[in-house]
Amino acid sequence: MSRKSVANLALVVVALLMPAAARGNEYYLHVYMMCAINTIAAVSLRSIAKTGQMSIGQAGFMAVGAYASSILATKMNLPVYWAMLMGGFASMLLAALIGFPLSRIRTVYFVTVTMFLGEIIRLVAFEWRSVTGGSTGLESIPPPAAFSMGILHVNFANRIYFCYLALFVLLFVILILYNIERSHAGTVLSAIGQEESLSASVGINVASYKVLILCVGCFFTGLAGSLYAHYMTVLNPDAFSIFTSLYVLIYVVVGGRAFAGPIVGAVILTLIPEIFAALKEYQPFVFVLILFLVVFLLPGGLTDLPRRIRESAGRTSAGEAG
Amino acid sequence: MMAELNPLSSCRSGLQPYPPTTMFETKKLTKYFGGVCAVNALDLVVGEKEIIGLIGPNGAGKTTVFNLITGFIRPSGGSIVLNGENLVGKKPHTIAERGIARTFQIAKSFPQFTVIQNMAAAGHLFGGAGFWEGIVRTPRYRRKERNIQEHSMRTLSFVGLEAWKDAIAGTLPHAHQKLLGVAMALAAAPKLLLLDEPLEGMSAEEVDRALEIISAIRAQGIAVLLIEHNMRAVMRICDKIVVISFGEEIARGTPEEVKQNDEVIKAYLGAASYAE
Repeated sequence: MSRKSVANLALVVVALLMPAAARGNEYYLHVYMMCAINTIAAVSLRSIAKTGQMSIGQAGFMAVGAYASSILATKMNLPVYWAMLMGGFASMLLAALIGFPLSRIRTVYFVTVTMFLGEIIRLVAFEWRSVTGGSTGLESIPPPAAFSMGILHVNFANRIYFCYLALFVLLFVILILYNIERSHAGTVLSAIGQEESLSASVGINVASYKVLILCVGCFFTGLAGSLYAHYMTVLNPDAFSIFTSLYVLIYVVVGGRAFAGPIVGAVILTLIPEIFAALKEYQPFVFVLILFLVVFLLPGGLTDLPRRIRESAGRTSAGEAG
Repeated sequence: MMAELNPLSSCRSGLQPYPPTTMFETKKLTKYFGGVCAVNALDLVVGEKEIIGLIGPNGAGKTTVFNLITGFIRPSGGSIVLNGENLVGKKPHTIAERGIARTFQIAKSFPQFTVIQNMAAAGHLFGGAGFWEGIVRTPRYRRKERNIQEHSMRTLSFVGLEAWKDAIAGTLPHAHQKLLGVAMALAAAPKLLLLDEPLEGMSAEEVDRALEIISAIRAQGIAVLLIEHNMRAVMRICDKIVVISFGEEIARGTPEEVKQNDEVIKAYLGAASYAE
Protein backbone atom coordinates (compact mmCIF):
# COMPACT_ATOMS: atom_id res chain seq x y z
CA MET A 1 0.00 0.00 0.00
CA SER A 2 1.35 3.41 -0.91
CA ARG A 3 2.07 6.08 1.66
CA LYS A 4 -0.80 8.13 0.33
CA SER A 5 -3.41 5.42 0.79
CA VAL A 6 -2.10 4.72 4.31
CA ALA A 7 -2.59 8.41 5.09
CA ASN A 8 -6.10 8.35 3.61
CA LEU A 9 -6.99 5.28 5.61
CA ALA A 10 -5.66 6.95 8.76
CA LEU A 11 -7.89 9.96 8.08
CA VAL A 12 -10.94 7.72 7.68
CA VAL A 13 -10.11 5.97 10.96
CA VAL A 14 -9.78 9.34 12.71
CA ALA A 15 -13.13 10.44 11.23
CA LEU A 16 -14.62 7.18 12.53
CA LEU A 17 -13.20 7.58 16.03
CA MET A 18 -14.07 11.25 16.46
CA PRO A 19 -17.81 10.92 17.25
CA ALA A 20 -16.98 8.13 19.72
CA ALA A 21 -14.40 10.37 21.39
CA ALA A 22 -16.90 13.24 21.57
CA ARG A 23 -19.58 10.91 22.94
CA GLY A 24 -21.96 12.76 25.19
CA ASN A 25 -20.84 16.22 24.09
CA GLU A 26 -23.80 17.35 22.03
CA TYR A 27 -22.03 20.47 20.80
CA TYR A 28 -19.00 18.63 19.38
CA LEU A 29 -21.28 16.16 17.67
CA HIS A 30 -23.28 19.01 16.17
CA VAL A 31 -20.12 20.59 14.73
CA TYR A 32 -19.13 17.20 13.35
CA MET A 33 -22.51 16.90 11.62
CA MET A 34 -22.18 20.34 10.08
CA CYS A 35 -18.67 19.49 8.82
CA ALA A 36 -19.98 16.33 7.17
CA ILE A 37 -22.98 18.02 5.54
CA ASN A 38 -20.93 20.97 4.28
CA THR A 39 -18.26 18.64 2.93
CA ILE A 40 -20.82 16.65 0.94
CA ALA A 41 -22.10 19.87 -0.62
CA ALA A 42 -18.57 21.10 -1.32
CA VAL A 43 -17.21 17.94 -2.99
CA SER A 44 -20.36 17.80 -5.13
CA LEU A 45 -19.93 21.40 -6.25
CA ARG A 46 -16.28 20.76 -7.12
CA SER A 47 -17.26 17.95 -9.48
CA ILE A 48 -19.93 20.10 -11.11
CA ALA A 49 -17.51 23.04 -11.40
CA LYS A 50 -14.92 20.86 -13.19
CA THR A 51 -16.81 21.44 -16.43
CA GLY A 52 -16.73 25.20 -15.85
CA GLN A 53 -20.20 25.27 -14.26
CA MET A 54 -19.41 27.27 -11.11
CA SER A 55 -22.83 27.24 -9.47
CA ILE A 56 -23.87 29.57 -6.69
CA GLY A 57 -27.28 28.03 -6.32
CA GLN A 58 -26.28 24.92 -4.40
CA ALA A 59 -28.34 25.95 -1.36
CA GLY A 60 -31.36 25.73 -3.66
CA PHE A 61 -30.57 22.11 -4.50
CA MET A 62 -30.03 21.40 -0.79
CA ALA A 63 -33.41 22.98 -0.07
CA VAL A 64 -35.14 20.83 -2.67
CA GLY A 65 -33.62 17.70 -1.10
CA ALA A 66 -34.46 18.85 2.43
CA TYR A 67 -38.06 19.85 1.72
CA ALA A 68 -38.85 16.90 -0.53
CA SER A 69 -37.55 14.46 2.03
CA SER A 70 -39.27 16.16 4.98
CA ILE A 71 -42.61 16.46 3.22
CA LEU A 72 -42.49 12.83 2.09
CA ALA A 73 -41.66 11.72 5.63
CA THR A 74 -44.13 13.93 7.52
CA LYS A 75 -47.12 14.20 5.19
CA MET A 76 -46.92 10.93 3.30
CA ASN A 77 -45.39 8.79 6.04
CA LEU A 78 -42.72 7.41 3.79
CA PRO A 79 -39.97 5.56 5.75
CA VAL A 80 -37.26 8.13 6.41
CA TYR A 81 -34.49 6.22 4.62
CA TRP A 82 -36.57 6.20 1.46
CA ALA A 83 -37.61 9.80 1.95
CA MET A 84 -33.96 10.88 2.17
CA LEU A 85 -33.12 9.00 -0.98
CA MET A 86 -36.11 10.60 -2.72
CA GLY A 87 -34.83 13.98 -1.53
CA GLY A 88 -31.66 13.31 -3.49
CA PHE A 89 -33.67 12.24 -6.52
CA ALA A 90 -35.90 15.33 -6.34
CA SER A 91 -32.84 17.55 -6.47
CA MET A 92 -31.46 15.47 -9.33
CA LEU A 93 -34.74 15.74 -11.23
CA LEU A 94 -34.57 19.52 -11.01
CA ALA A 95 -30.97 19.40 -12.24
CA ALA A 96 -32.02 17.23 -15.18
CA LEU A 97 -34.84 19.62 -16.08
CA ILE A 98 -32.73 22.76 -16.08
CA GLY A 99 -29.47 21.05 -17.07
CA PHE A 100 -29.75 21.40 -20.84
CA PRO A 101 -30.61 25.10 -20.91
CA LEU A 102 -27.89 25.65 -18.28
CA SER A 103 -25.34 23.71 -20.34
CA ARG A 104 -25.58 26.32 -23.06
CA ILE A 105 -24.54 29.27 -20.93
CA ARG A 106 -21.13 29.90 -19.47
CA THR A 107 -19.07 31.97 -17.05
CA VAL A 108 -20.80 34.96 -15.50
CA TYR A 109 -24.13 34.08 -17.12
CA PHE A 110 -24.08 30.64 -15.55
CA VAL A 111 -23.20 32.14 -12.17
CA THR A 112 -26.05 34.67 -12.41
CA VAL A 113 -28.66 32.15 -13.47
CA THR A 114 -27.75 29.65 -10.74
CA MET A 115 -27.77 32.44 -8.16
CA PHE A 116 -31.32 33.41 -9.11
CA LEU A 117 -32.33 29.77 -9.27
CA GLY A 118 -31.24 29.33 -5.66
CA GLU A 119 -33.17 32.41 -4.61
CA ILE A 120 -36.27 31.31 -6.52
CA ILE A 121 -36.26 27.97 -4.72
CA ARG A 122 -35.88 29.73 -1.37
CA LEU A 123 -38.79 32.06 -2.22
CA VAL A 124 -40.97 29.15 -3.28
CA ALA A 125 -40.25 27.51 0.07
CA PHE A 126 -41.11 30.81 1.73
CA GLU A 127 -44.36 31.50 -0.11
CA TRP A 128 -45.88 28.07 -0.71
CA ARG A 129 -47.25 27.91 2.82
CA SER A 130 -49.65 24.99 2.40
CA VAL A 131 -46.81 22.64 1.52
CA THR A 132 -43.63 24.10 3.00
CA GLY A 133 -45.04 25.90 5.99
CA GLY A 134 -43.78 29.28 4.80
CA SER A 135 -41.44 31.20 7.07
CA THR A 136 -42.19 29.05 10.10
CA GLY A 137 -41.28 26.03 8.04
CA LEU A 138 -41.75 22.37 8.91
CA GLU A 139 -41.57 20.91 12.39
CA SER A 140 -41.04 17.53 14.02
CA ILE A 141 -39.39 15.99 11.03
CA PRO A 142 -38.72 12.42 12.12
CA PRO A 143 -35.22 10.95 12.28
CA PRO A 144 -34.66 7.62 10.52
CA ALA A 145 -36.16 4.63 12.31
CA ALA A 146 -34.09 2.88 14.96
CA PHE A 147 -32.79 -0.58 14.12
CA SER A 148 -30.74 -3.31 15.74
CA MET A 149 -28.03 -5.47 14.30
CA GLY A 150 -26.90 -8.08 16.84
CA ILE A 151 -25.44 -6.18 19.78
CA LEU A 152 -25.57 -2.86 17.88
CA HIS A 153 -28.66 -0.81 18.71
CA VAL A 154 -28.86 2.22 16.48
CA ASN A 155 -31.22 4.92 17.67
CA PHE A 156 -31.06 8.26 15.93
CA ALA A 157 -32.35 10.04 19.01
CA ASN A 158 -28.69 9.84 19.95
CA ARG A 159 -26.69 12.28 17.86
CA ILE A 160 -23.70 10.02 17.61
CA TYR A 161 -25.55 7.67 15.25
CA PHE A 162 -26.52 10.57 13.06
CA CYS A 163 -22.84 11.45 12.86
CA TYR A 164 -22.05 7.95 11.67
CA LEU A 165 -24.88 8.04 9.14
CA ALA A 166 -23.54 11.36 7.78
CA LEU A 167 -20.01 9.98 7.68
CA PHE A 168 -21.24 6.91 5.84
CA VAL A 169 -23.00 9.07 3.23
CA LEU A 170 -19.95 11.33 2.96
CA LEU A 171 -17.56 8.43 2.36
CA PHE A 172 -19.91 7.01 -0.25
CA VAL A 173 -20.11 10.37 -2.05
CA ILE A 174 -16.33 10.77 -1.95
CA LEU A 175 -15.83 7.24 -3.29
CA ILE A 176 -18.18 7.80 -6.24
CA LEU A 177 -16.87 11.26 -7.11
CA TYR A 178 -13.26 10.13 -6.76
CA ASN A 179 -13.88 7.21 -9.10
CA ILE A 180 -15.46 9.57 -11.62
CA GLU A 181 -12.47 11.88 -11.28
CA ARG A 182 -9.85 9.25 -12.01
CA SER A 183 -11.84 7.50 -14.75
CA HIS A 184 -12.01 8.53 -18.39
CA ALA A 185 -15.15 10.53 -17.55
CA GLY A 186 -13.07 12.67 -15.19
CA THR A 187 -10.64 13.45 -17.99
CA VAL A 188 -13.53 14.36 -20.26
CA LEU A 189 -15.18 16.62 -17.66
CA SER A 190 -11.95 18.48 -17.02
CA ALA A 191 -11.32 18.75 -20.77
CA ILE A 192 -14.74 20.40 -21.19
CA GLY A 193 -13.83 22.87 -18.46
CA GLN A 194 -10.59 23.77 -20.22
CA GLU A 195 -11.63 23.98 -23.89
CA GLU A 196 -15.24 23.43 -24.82
CA SER A 197 -14.96 23.75 -28.58
CA LEU A 198 -11.92 21.48 -28.77
CA SER A 199 -13.81 18.90 -26.68
CA ALA A 200 -16.74 19.01 -29.08
CA SER A 201 -14.42 18.72 -32.09
CA VAL A 202 -12.96 15.44 -30.83
CA GLY A 203 -16.44 14.00 -30.40
CA ILE A 204 -17.25 14.73 -26.76
CA ASN A 205 -20.95 15.43 -26.21
CA VAL A 206 -20.37 18.54 -24.12
CA ALA A 207 -24.00 19.21 -23.19
CA SER A 208 -24.80 15.70 -22.01
CA TYR A 209 -21.61 15.41 -19.94
CA LYS A 210 -22.41 18.74 -18.29
CA VAL A 211 -25.95 17.59 -17.49
CA LEU A 212 -24.74 14.20 -16.26
CA ILE A 213 -22.31 15.62 -13.73
CA LEU A 214 -24.83 18.28 -12.69
CA CYS A 215 -27.33 15.51 -11.98
CA VAL A 216 -24.84 13.42 -10.01
CA GLY A 217 -23.61 16.45 -8.04
CA CYS A 218 -27.11 17.70 -7.31
CA PHE A 219 -28.25 14.24 -6.22
CA PHE A 220 -25.56 14.30 -3.52
CA THR A 221 -26.30 17.93 -2.67
CA GLY A 222 -29.97 17.03 -2.23
CA LEU A 223 -28.92 14.12 -0.03
CA ALA A 224 -26.90 16.55 2.13
CA GLY A 225 -30.02 18.72 2.39
CA SER A 226 -32.21 15.83 3.53
CA LEU A 227 -29.58 14.72 6.06
CA TYR A 228 -29.70 18.26 7.42
CA ALA A 229 -33.50 18.30 7.62
CA HIS A 230 -33.88 15.01 9.47
CA TYR A 231 -31.01 15.86 11.77
CA MET A 232 -32.33 19.31 12.69
CA THR A 233 -35.97 18.05 12.84
CA VAL A 234 -37.10 21.60 11.98
CA LEU A 235 -36.72 23.31 8.66
CA ASN A 236 -37.20 26.83 7.40
CA PRO A 237 -36.17 28.72 4.28
CA ASP A 238 -33.58 30.89 6.08
CA ALA A 239 -31.16 27.99 6.14
CA PHE A 240 -30.93 28.07 2.34
CA SER A 241 -30.19 31.72 1.69
CA ILE A 242 -27.64 32.87 -0.86
CA PHE A 243 -25.03 32.89 1.91
CA THR A 244 -25.22 29.12 2.18
CA SER A 245 -24.57 28.84 -1.57
CA LEU A 246 -21.70 31.28 -1.35
CA TYR A 247 -20.18 29.43 1.60
CA VAL A 248 -20.19 26.19 -0.38
CA LEU A 249 -18.41 27.99 -3.19
CA ILE A 250 -15.89 29.49 -0.75
CA TYR A 251 -15.14 26.03 0.71
CA VAL A 252 -14.24 24.86 -2.79
CA VAL A 253 -12.10 27.87 -3.72
CA VAL A 254 -10.30 28.08 -0.38
CA GLY A 255 -9.67 24.32 -0.38
CA GLY A 256 -8.05 24.34 -3.79
CA ARG A 257 -7.95 22.43 -7.03
CA ALA A 258 -6.93 19.02 -5.67
CA PHE A 259 -9.62 16.42 -5.02
CA ALA A 260 -9.08 16.86 -1.27
CA GLY A 261 -9.52 20.64 -1.68
CA PRO A 262 -13.24 21.00 -0.89
CA ILE A 263 -12.92 18.51 1.99
CA VAL A 264 -10.14 20.55 3.62
CA GLY A 265 -11.91 23.83 2.82
CA ALA A 266 -15.29 22.75 4.18
CA VAL A 267 -13.91 21.27 7.41
CA ILE A 268 -11.60 24.19 8.21
CA LEU A 269 -14.11 26.89 7.36
CA THR A 270 -16.86 25.13 9.31
CA LEU A 271 -14.56 24.93 12.34
CA ILE A 272 -13.28 28.53 12.28
CA PRO A 273 -16.53 30.24 13.38
CA GLU A 274 -16.95 27.53 16.03
CA ILE A 275 -13.43 27.85 17.45
CA PHE A 276 -13.51 31.64 17.44
CA ALA A 277 -17.06 31.91 18.75
CA ALA A 278 -16.77 35.67 19.02
CA LEU A 279 -16.43 35.86 15.23
CA LYS A 280 -19.67 34.01 14.56
CA GLU A 281 -21.68 37.18 14.06
CA TYR A 282 -19.20 38.36 11.46
CA GLN A 283 -19.06 35.05 9.60
CA PRO A 284 -19.62 36.55 6.12
CA PHE A 285 -16.84 39.09 6.67
CA VAL A 286 -14.44 36.50 8.03
CA PHE A 287 -15.12 34.16 5.11
CA VAL A 288 -14.67 36.87 2.52
CA LEU A 289 -11.43 37.93 4.21
CA ILE A 290 -10.15 34.35 4.12
CA LEU A 291 -11.27 34.05 0.51
CA PHE A 292 -9.33 37.18 -0.46
CA LEU A 293 -6.23 36.07 1.40
CA VAL A 294 -6.28 32.67 -0.29
CA VAL A 295 -7.00 34.03 -3.77
CA PHE A 296 -4.15 36.54 -3.58
CA LEU A 297 -1.55 34.69 -1.51
CA LEU A 298 -2.29 31.05 -2.31
CA PRO A 299 -4.12 30.84 -5.64
CA GLY A 300 -3.85 27.03 -5.63
CA GLY A 301 -5.85 26.88 -2.39
CA LEU A 302 -4.98 25.35 0.98
CA THR A 303 -4.18 21.94 -0.53
CA ASP A 304 -1.47 23.64 -2.57
CA LEU A 305 0.27 24.72 0.66
CA PRO A 306 2.53 21.63 1.12
CA ARG A 307 3.86 22.00 -2.43
CA ARG A 308 4.49 25.72 -1.92
CA ILE A 309 6.36 25.08 1.33
CA ARG A 310 8.45 22.34 -0.28
CA GLU A 311 9.22 24.63 -3.18
CA SER A 312 10.30 27.61 -1.10
CA ALA A 313 12.31 25.29 1.20
CA GLY A 314 14.03 23.92 -1.88
CA ARG A 315 14.75 27.44 -3.08
CA THR A 316 16.31 28.60 0.21
CA SER A 317 18.49 25.49 0.53
CA ALA A 318 19.57 25.92 -3.08
CA GLY A 319 20.35 29.56 -2.27
CA GLU A 320 22.52 28.54 0.69
CA ALA A 321 24.38 26.01 -1.42
CA GLY A 322 25.01 28.65 -4.08
CA MET B 1 9.96 7.58 -36.15
CA MET B 2 7.14 7.63 -38.68
CA ALA B 3 5.27 4.63 -37.44
CA GLU B 4 3.09 2.76 -39.91
CA LEU B 5 4.26 4.82 -42.81
CA ASN B 6 3.86 2.91 -46.02
CA PRO B 7 6.37 4.41 -48.51
CA LEU B 8 4.45 3.14 -51.54
CA SER B 9 1.27 5.02 -50.87
CA SER B 10 2.87 8.17 -49.55
CA CYS B 11 3.79 9.56 -52.96
CA ARG B 12 1.23 11.88 -54.46
CA SER B 13 -1.84 10.17 -55.89
CA GLY B 14 -0.45 6.79 -54.80
CA LEU B 15 -1.37 3.77 -56.87
CA GLN B 16 -5.11 4.22 -56.61
CA PRO B 17 -7.53 4.64 -59.50
CA TYR B 18 -7.93 8.23 -60.62
CA PRO B 19 -10.14 10.12 -60.11
CA PRO B 20 -10.73 8.55 -56.70
CA THR B 21 -14.26 7.85 -55.47
CA THR B 22 -15.90 10.82 -53.80
CA MET B 23 -16.21 10.44 -50.02
CA PHE B 24 -17.03 13.98 -49.04
CA GLU B 25 -18.61 16.92 -50.79
CA THR B 26 -20.30 20.23 -50.14
CA LYS B 27 -22.92 21.44 -52.58
CA LYS B 28 -23.70 25.13 -52.87
CA LEU B 29 -22.50 25.67 -49.31
CA THR B 30 -23.50 29.21 -48.32
CA LYS B 31 -23.19 31.29 -45.18
CA TYR B 32 -24.44 34.80 -44.54
CA PHE B 33 -23.44 36.74 -41.45
CA GLY B 34 -26.21 39.31 -41.36
CA GLY B 35 -26.06 40.78 -44.85
CA VAL B 36 -22.47 39.78 -45.48
CA CYS B 37 -21.89 36.72 -47.59
CA ALA B 38 -18.97 34.86 -46.00
CA VAL B 39 -19.23 31.73 -48.16
CA ASN B 40 -21.11 31.68 -51.43
CA ALA B 41 -22.30 28.48 -53.15
CA LEU B 42 -19.07 26.62 -52.54
CA ASP B 43 -18.69 23.15 -54.05
CA LEU B 44 -15.92 21.06 -52.56
CA VAL B 45 -15.22 17.47 -53.53
CA VAL B 46 -12.83 15.25 -51.62
CA GLY B 47 -12.06 11.74 -52.85
CA GLU B 48 -10.70 8.81 -50.86
CA LYS B 49 -7.13 9.44 -49.72
CA GLU B 50 -7.01 12.82 -51.43
CA ILE B 51 -5.29 15.92 -50.12
CA ILE B 52 -7.25 18.99 -51.18
CA GLY B 53 -5.90 22.48 -50.59
CA LEU B 54 -8.26 25.32 -49.73
CA ILE B 55 -6.45 28.59 -50.25
CA GLY B 56 -7.31 32.24 -50.58
CA PRO B 57 -6.38 35.64 -49.21
CA ASN B 58 -7.03 36.54 -45.57
CA GLY B 59 -10.72 36.89 -44.85
CA ALA B 60 -11.69 34.77 -47.85
CA GLY B 61 -13.87 32.56 -45.63
CA LYS B 62 -11.66 29.50 -45.38
CA THR B 63 -11.99 29.02 -41.63
CA THR B 64 -15.72 29.70 -41.94
CA VAL B 65 -15.90 26.75 -44.33
CA PHE B 66 -14.26 24.57 -41.68
CA ASN B 67 -16.63 25.83 -39.01
CA LEU B 68 -19.56 25.05 -41.30
CA ILE B 69 -18.33 21.55 -42.09
CA THR B 70 -17.69 20.69 -38.43
CA GLY B 71 -21.04 22.04 -37.27
CA PHE B 72 -19.76 24.92 -35.16
CA ILE B 73 -21.90 27.26 -37.24
CA ARG B 74 -24.96 26.41 -39.30
CA PRO B 75 -24.91 27.03 -43.04
CA SER B 76 -27.51 29.42 -44.52
CA GLY B 77 -27.88 27.03 -47.44
CA GLY B 78 -26.41 24.09 -49.28
CA SER B 79 -25.47 20.62 -48.13
CA ILE B 80 -22.49 18.87 -46.56
CA VAL B 81 -22.35 15.19 -47.42
CA LEU B 82 -20.01 12.56 -45.97
CA ASN B 83 -20.34 9.09 -47.45
CA GLY B 84 -23.89 9.81 -48.58
CA GLU B 85 -25.08 11.32 -45.29
CA ASN B 86 -26.07 14.98 -45.05
CA LEU B 87 -24.41 16.52 -42.01
CA VAL B 88 -26.17 19.90 -42.05
CA GLY B 89 -27.73 20.67 -38.65
CA LYS B 90 -25.74 18.04 -36.80
CA LYS B 91 -23.84 18.97 -33.64
CA PRO B 92 -20.00 19.16 -33.69
CA HIS B 93 -19.61 16.03 -31.58
CA THR B 94 -21.92 14.04 -33.88
CA ILE B 95 -19.95 15.19 -36.92
CA ALA B 96 -16.72 14.09 -35.21
CA GLU B 97 -18.40 10.75 -34.57
CA ARG B 98 -19.28 10.42 -38.25
CA GLY B 99 -15.59 10.81 -39.07
CA ILE B 100 -14.62 14.45 -39.57
CA ALA B 101 -11.89 15.78 -37.26
CA ARG B 102 -10.26 19.19 -37.34
CA THR B 103 -7.45 21.29 -36.00
CA PHE B 104 -7.77 24.95 -35.13
CA GLN B 105 -5.97 27.90 -36.68
CA ILE B 106 -4.73 28.98 -33.26
CA ALA B 107 -3.44 25.70 -31.87
CA LYS B 108 -5.82 24.47 -29.19
CA SER B 109 -5.09 21.95 -26.50
CA PHE B 110 -6.29 21.26 -22.99
CA PRO B 111 -3.58 23.47 -21.46
CA GLN B 112 -3.57 22.06 -17.91
CA PHE B 113 -3.31 18.47 -19.08
CA THR B 114 -0.13 16.62 -19.95
CA VAL B 115 0.26 15.66 -23.60
CA ILE B 116 -0.81 12.08 -22.93
CA GLN B 117 -3.90 13.27 -21.00
CA ASN B 118 -4.78 15.45 -23.97
CA MET B 119 -4.59 12.39 -26.15
CA ALA B 120 -6.76 10.39 -23.75
CA ALA B 121 -9.45 13.07 -23.87
CA ALA B 122 -9.19 13.24 -27.66
CA GLY B 123 -9.43 9.44 -27.85
CA HIS B 124 -12.92 9.65 -26.34
CA LEU B 125 -14.61 8.38 -29.51
CA PHE B 126 -12.00 5.73 -30.12
CA GLY B 127 -12.29 4.25 -26.64
CA GLY B 128 -16.04 4.43 -26.18
CA ALA B 129 -15.57 4.38 -22.41
CA GLY B 130 -18.87 5.28 -20.76
CA PHE B 131 -19.64 7.43 -17.74
CA TRP B 132 -21.15 4.87 -15.36
CA GLU B 133 -18.88 1.91 -16.07
CA GLY B 134 -15.92 4.09 -15.05
CA ILE B 135 -17.35 4.48 -11.55
CA VAL B 136 -17.50 0.75 -10.90
CA ARG B 137 -14.38 0.03 -12.99
CA THR B 138 -15.67 -3.10 -14.68
CA PRO B 139 -13.03 -5.27 -16.43
CA ARG B 140 -14.56 -4.21 -19.75
CA TYR B 141 -14.07 -0.57 -18.79
CA ARG B 142 -10.42 -1.17 -17.82
CA ARG B 143 -9.83 -2.82 -21.16
CA LYS B 144 -11.26 0.24 -22.92
CA GLU B 145 -9.06 2.50 -20.83
CA ARG B 146 -5.97 0.47 -21.81
CA ASN B 147 -7.03 0.66 -25.46
CA ILE B 148 -7.25 4.44 -25.25
CA GLN B 149 -3.78 4.57 -23.68
CA GLU B 150 -2.26 2.39 -26.39
CA HIS B 151 -4.04 4.28 -29.14
CA SER B 152 -2.81 7.57 -27.65
CA MET B 153 0.80 6.41 -27.56
CA ARG B 154 0.59 5.06 -31.12
CA THR B 155 -0.80 8.34 -32.41
CA LEU B 156 1.76 10.37 -30.47
CA SER B 157 4.66 8.43 -31.93
CA PHE B 158 3.04 8.77 -35.35
CA VAL B 159 3.53 12.55 -35.14
CA GLY B 160 6.83 12.17 -33.27
CA LEU B 161 5.73 13.60 -29.92
CA GLU B 162 6.20 10.48 -27.78
CA ALA B 163 9.14 12.04 -25.93
CA TRP B 164 6.88 14.90 -24.79
CA LYS B 165 4.11 12.73 -23.40
CA ASP B 166 4.45 13.96 -19.81
CA ALA B 167 4.92 17.64 -20.65
CA ILE B 168 2.10 20.05 -19.73
CA ALA B 169 0.42 20.87 -23.04
CA GLY B 170 0.23 24.61 -22.35
CA THR B 171 4.03 24.81 -22.07
CA LEU B 172 4.89 23.07 -25.37
CA PRO B 173 6.81 24.96 -28.06
CA HIS B 174 4.62 26.34 -30.85
CA ALA B 175 5.39 23.74 -33.51
CA HIS B 176 4.77 20.95 -31.02
CA GLN B 177 1.43 22.49 -30.06
CA LYS B 178 0.46 22.36 -33.72
CA LEU B 179 1.53 18.71 -33.98
CA LEU B 180 -0.35 17.89 -30.79
CA GLY B 181 -3.46 19.41 -32.39
CA VAL B 182 -3.01 17.10 -35.38
CA ALA B 183 -2.41 14.10 -33.12
CA MET B 184 -5.56 14.88 -31.14
CA ALA B 185 -7.64 15.15 -34.29
CA LEU B 186 -6.22 11.80 -35.42
CA ALA B 187 -7.03 10.27 -32.04
CA ALA B 188 -10.71 10.71 -32.89
CA ALA B 189 -10.14 8.17 -35.71
CA PRO B 190 -11.42 10.36 -38.58
CA LYS B 191 -12.04 9.57 -42.24
CA LEU B 192 -11.57 13.19 -43.23
CA LEU B 193 -9.13 15.51 -41.47
CA LEU B 194 -9.46 19.29 -41.71
CA LEU B 195 -6.18 21.07 -41.06
CA ASP B 196 -6.40 24.82 -40.49
CA GLU B 197 -2.97 26.34 -41.21
CA PRO B 198 -0.97 23.47 -39.71
CA LEU B 199 2.36 24.90 -40.93
CA GLU B 200 1.84 28.42 -39.64
CA GLY B 201 4.86 29.66 -37.69
CA MET B 202 7.00 26.60 -38.38
CA SER B 203 10.64 26.61 -39.42
CA ALA B 204 11.69 25.09 -42.77
CA GLU B 205 12.70 21.78 -41.19
CA GLU B 206 9.53 21.66 -39.14
CA VAL B 207 7.49 22.25 -42.31
CA ASP B 208 9.24 19.33 -44.00
CA ARG B 209 8.45 17.07 -41.04
CA ALA B 210 4.85 18.23 -40.94
CA LEU B 211 4.44 17.55 -44.66
CA GLU B 212 5.85 14.05 -44.16
CA ILE B 213 3.26 13.53 -41.45
CA ILE B 214 0.44 14.76 -43.69
CA SER B 215 1.53 12.34 -46.43
CA ALA B 216 1.65 9.57 -43.86
CA ILE B 217 -1.88 10.47 -42.74
CA ARG B 218 -3.08 10.04 -46.30
CA ALA B 219 -1.24 6.73 -46.46
CA GLN B 220 -3.39 5.60 -43.53
CA GLY B 221 -6.45 6.08 -45.73
CA ILE B 222 -7.51 9.45 -44.32
CA ALA B 223 -8.47 12.24 -46.71
CA VAL B 224 -7.19 15.72 -45.87
CA LEU B 225 -8.66 19.15 -46.48
CA LEU B 226 -5.92 21.70 -45.94
CA ILE B 227 -6.00 25.45 -45.36
CA GLU B 228 -2.51 26.85 -45.66
CA HIS B 229 -0.72 30.05 -46.59
CA ASN B 230 2.63 28.40 -47.24
CA MET B 231 2.27 28.18 -51.06
CA ARG B 232 5.38 26.12 -51.66
CA ALA B 233 4.07 23.48 -49.24
CA VAL B 234 0.54 23.56 -50.65
CA MET B 235 1.81 23.15 -54.23
CA ARG B 236 4.02 20.29 -53.13
CA ILE B 237 1.51 18.21 -51.23
CA CYS B 238 -2.00 18.81 -52.59
CA ASP B 239 -3.64 16.72 -55.29
CA LYS B 240 -6.07 19.49 -56.09
CA ILE B 241 -6.50 23.05 -54.96
CA VAL B 242 -9.60 25.19 -54.57
CA VAL B 243 -8.99 28.93 -54.44
CA ILE B 244 -11.59 31.17 -52.83
CA SER B 245 -11.76 34.91 -52.49
CA PHE B 246 -14.50 36.79 -50.63
CA GLY B 247 -16.32 33.51 -50.08
CA GLU B 248 -16.44 32.61 -53.76
CA GLU B 249 -14.53 30.03 -55.69
CA ILE B 250 -12.28 31.68 -58.26
CA ALA B 251 -10.31 28.67 -59.44
CA ARG B 252 -9.78 24.98 -58.94
CA GLY B 253 -7.53 22.31 -60.35
CA THR B 254 -4.15 20.71 -59.95
CA PRO B 255 -1.35 22.81 -58.42
CA GLU B 256 0.06 23.46 -61.92
CA GLU B 257 -3.30 24.65 -63.27
CA VAL B 258 -3.90 26.90 -60.29
CA LYS B 259 -0.42 28.38 -60.46
CA GLN B 260 -1.04 29.50 -64.03
CA ASN B 261 -4.57 30.77 -63.52
CA ASP B 262 -4.69 34.53 -64.25
CA GLU B 263 -7.58 35.09 -61.86
CA VAL B 264 -5.62 33.52 -59.01
CA ILE B 265 -2.46 35.44 -59.76
CA LYS B 266 -4.44 38.66 -59.83
CA ALA B 267 -6.57 38.09 -56.73
CA TYR B 268 -4.27 36.20 -54.53
CA LEU B 269 -0.72 35.53 -55.51
CA GLY B 270 -0.33 39.14 -56.51
CA ALA B 271 2.98 39.58 -58.26
CA ALA B 272 3.35 37.51 -61.42
CA SER B 273 6.92 36.89 -60.34
CA TYR B 274 5.68 34.22 -57.93
CA ALA B 275 5.55 31.45 -60.50
CA GLU B 276 9.34 31.08 -60.28
